[in-house]
Amino acid sequence: MPYILNTPSQIKEMLEVVGLHSLEELFSHLPPSVRIKGHLSLPSGLSEEELIRVVKRLAKKNKSLSNFNSFLGGGIYPHYIPSPLNHLIGRAEFYTAYTPYQAEASQGILQAIFEYQTYICLLTGMEVSNASLYDGATSLAEAVLMSLRIKKRSKVLVCESIHPEYRATLRTYLKGFDFLVEEIKFNRYGFLDLDILKEKIDDEVACLCIQSPNFFGLIEDLESISEVVKGKEILVILVTNPVSLAILKEPAKLGVDIVCGEGQILGRACAWGGETFGWLATKRDYLRQLPGRIVGKTIDREGKESFCLTLQTREQHIRREKATSNICSIHSLNAIAGAIYLSLLGKEGLKKVALYSLNLAHYFYQCLQDIKEIKLVFPSSFFNEFVWQVNDSYQVWEALYRKNIIPGLILEKFYPQLKDCILSSCTEIKTKEEIDDFVRCLKEVIR
Amino acid sequence: MADRFFTKTHEWVRLEDDSAFIGITDYAQKELGDIVFVELPSVGEKLTQFSRFGTIESTKAASELYSPLSGEVTEVNNDLVNHPEWVNQDPYGKGWMVKIKVDNRDEIANLLDEATYKNLIEKEA
Amino acid sequence: MKEKIIFQKSQKGRFTDYVTNPQISIFPPSHFIPQKLLREDLNLPSLGEGEVVRHYTNLSRLNYCVDTNFYPLGSCTMKYNPKVNEDLANLEEFLHIHPYQKEEDIQGTLELLYNLEKLLCEITGMERFSFQPSAGAHGELTGMLIVKAFHSLKREKRFKVIIPDSSHGTNPATASMCGYQVVVVESTKEGLVDIDKLRKLMDSSTAGIMLTCPNTLGIFEEKILDIREIVHRQGGLLYYDGANFNALLGITKPSLMGFDIVHLNLHKTFSTPHGSGGPGAGAVGVRKDLVPFLPVPLVDKKNDYYYLNYDLKHSIGKVRSFYGNFPVLVKTYAYLLRLGKEGLVRVAHNSVLNANYIREKLRDNYQLASSKRCMHEVVFSCKDKKEEYGVTALDLAKRLLDYGIHPPTMYFPLVVKEALMIEPTETESKETLDYFIEVMKRIDQEAKTKPSVLKDAPHTTFTKRVDEVSAARNPVLKWEEYGE
Repeated sequence: MPYILNTPSQIKEMLEVVGLHSLEELFSHLPPSVRIKGHLSLPSGLSEEELIRVVKRLAKKNKSLSNFNSFLGGGIYPHYIPSPLNHLIGRAEFYTAYTPYQAEASQGILQAIFEYQTYICLLTGMEVSNASLYDGATSLAEAVLMSLRIKKRSKVLVCESIHPEYRATLRTYLKGFDFLVEEIKFNRYGFLDLDILKEKIDDEVACLCIQSPNFFGLIEDLESISEVVKGKEILVILVTNPVSLAILKEPAKLGVDIVCGEGQILGRACAWGGETFGWLATKRDYLRQLPGRIVGKTIDREGKESFCLTLQTREQHIRREKATSNICSIHSLNAIAGAIYLSLLGKEGLKKVALYSLNLAHYFYQCLQDIKEIKLVFPSSFFNEFVWQVNDSYQVWEALYRKNIIPGLILEKFYPQLKDCILSSCTEIKTKEEIDDFVRCLKEVIR
Repeated sequence: MADRFFTKTHEWVRLEDDSAFIGITDYAQKELGDIVFVELPSVGEKLTQFSRFGTIESTKAASELYSPLSGEVTEVNNDLVNHPEWVNQDPYGKGWMVKIKVDNRDEIANLLDEATYKNLIEKEA
Repeated sequence: MKEKIIFQKSQKGRFTDYVTNPQISIFPPSHFIPQKLLREDLNLPSLGEGEVVRHYTNLSRLNYCVDTNFYPLGSCTMKYNPKVNEDLANLEEFLHIHPYQKEEDIQGTLELLYNLEKLLCEITGMERFSFQPSAGAHGELTGMLIVKAFHSLKREKRFKVIIPDSSHGTNPATASMCGYQVVVVESTKEGLVDIDKLRKLMDSSTAGIMLTCPNTLGIFEEKILDIREIVHRQGGLLYYDGANFNALLGITKPSLMGFDIVHLNLHKTFSTPHGSGGPGAGAVGVRKDLVPFLPVPLVDKKNDYYYLNYDLKHSIGKVRSFYGNFPVLVKTYAYLLRLGKEGLVRVAHNSVLNANYIREKLRDNYQLASSKRCMHEVVFSCKDKKEEYGVTALDLAKRLLDYGIHPPTMYFPLVVKEALMIEPTETESKETLDYFIEVMKRIDQEAKTKPSVLKDAPHTTFTKRVDEVSAARNPVLKWEEYGE
């Protein structure tokens, strides 16, 4: 009996205490018509060894990134994860605990999250951070809902150069209401079109959502954008890559009101996009509109510094239908991993990750510049990914794939106007050899 | 105190000429426990009788505040922002919340006097 | 000893060297990016590997968890998390996969999801499942947006959702997020949905009901078929909050009870760990005619080739990026394969037996919230203890820490005053339950004879009772002394 400790004789003893004769009787008050007759039609259980064999057989049908020279990015990035990280996250005291409701029995979790909140504030220059959300897309959706509550207006402006899956998620989240979502096209350089932005601004706009580096890798001129919305009572919501913040100016200093994004980039595996956490930070003025858990510092009875969940009256378990969000379980373990990642990398380490990612991507860009069949679609002020164009892109992509190269993400599916365009990304784990190999193979394929 | 009246939702109002001070009752503060946050309206806002004018929070609960009378807010006890504990310590004094200019004294007829309110909370307990 | 804040440990000049220097010329950021968009300084700490490891290891030791302590946290199903599941979820071929890889690279991933979906469909009687929702509340949001889309496709104006007063807080919060008005149906004094009141509330402007069964008092809604009849007759849908499904595995299916939409907390019933508060997964299943409304994509199969199907006619869209918390889904799959059909029934049997055993043993010492037999959890009220001895459910809970037991859920459900909600789960032994029972009886005595022991509890933890009031009055939410 896997995972059950009661022995048959204990079960008998316990049934006697309860005053029943059989386990079946525990369910005798259920209406007979809702009962399953006999067993579920499922297989019988496997031994642990059999289980491992079955699941490994499935795993072997996958071809992981290790088999490829991959340039995939677009929201999920493979960075190097220092070995201690998974050992620490693998401590049962972190991964088999619940949300730290009982502060006295959860000081370690609470302190780790408090440190996480501090890290997010240090990266963004913001004053307050929550304890995490599900992923980048839902953190954008929550940020927008926040802005609608704060401004009590009905319109949302969204740059088309925000991750397409984030925009899709945002649309779903807003389905319950009559809010108007207007997308702002990017200009021919791939940046937010400031003229269109100016046209779209009116008294009903609650927020402007931008991504920088945007989905094409380009670093938007946030300073000029903030200038346009200044004095219009519009909140600026920024989606960003936390690693890029090692070199980019703190969003708080660029007129941004709420900043959010994907946390996988900080020390989590690609995991098919399933090892994520959303992070979100803002100004202290908007603290009471934050969704999700927040950890605060306090003292215990003896006056010792300690931590607890705080400002819980914002949350669903207290405020029910008037809560700031329905979120309950967040993505704590991944957020704690993010904090451990930042601790391990430290100031110099994170700067190097950002600097090398930036330089490798630009080296790659330079290499492509020398190939006349390749068009570099947008200018070069990008962080670690960029868009290039080649005729018959699907065939080129396939031909490279057969050489175990994944050139990047074909953009046409998300942006029909970007025909034959590919988004390629580099992180610090890319090597010069891999890039050179790619360039050599690309030349072979197109010539 | 004959000039103090109550609501069923545990707010009190004390009349002073054509103005009135509003707060929550001692019973209410005890029920809520340690108050950690009070959200109040701004000066100039119009309140109508029994409409919501703010919220009050303990660590485990958030409650709406309802105005006993109609009128315009002329003063707000902003000290409560930094000292929400005053609502616990002195709900009828330092813990007052807003002062309004009363629109219509006839509305008092819709409120409870001290004895009736006492009866009500005995029943609730 | 108190673990210092990580930022206090920073030492200028100390660093780690995880990052490999690429063999290309490195230019400063200003070479590529306008100076005005670059930051002047990055104010992160400088630490070494050894101290980071010690820091987080020491922090971990301050926590209670399932692997170290009995953790009967009601409504949270803190069962044992099998270790083999962790091994399998961490297989390189699952973990090192980019979400934009080709379908042919991820046939194993897709096949696993396809198989898992089939298992969950059989367990619940639903037609299809989406694995995108990343937590229970996220599943609720997905499910209720499907309700909304279903009614609006039929051009029906339904703006209310009925929710019992005993519900999880996520239910009303979710209904609000979907733009619904929440209508509360009261419980009877036994803690069941009041059928007469429900009948009066349910009308053609109501979209449906969100229901937990067994409910949060741990009681099976015996009138479930009446509820189904009342809601369906008016064209409403029944939403099953499957946070509490442990007791019913292999016993009944939500479809048999009349539910149209179901979410399952895979991190509760299906043993995936809670990770200090996530990541979990809130898979959403629907009956056949609601399949076209599910989030895209679903996993389908054609000639033994698995693919992502985006072709759902009325899909509500995406509820997050990519496809869901895949490692959590691997663990769920492994759990189901390991247990099999007999194992699942044993989960139901033992979880219900364990809860009823505690109920029976403690009913003379603690006031039961309902006289009905309980399922996976039992709720007591400490109202009498508060009145007689001045000790609260909170005091009692904190005292349990001194005996090495994680407290039950307190002050929930809201319909029970001074509630203690105890969910032992099936993976606890009679010996553990007997210890818990003995401790609870001892605490009952203490409440009578020396209540101050409870009021001052916990005594044995490193951190004593935490001042939540000043935390909320004066929020300090980051390490202020650092930097700037």
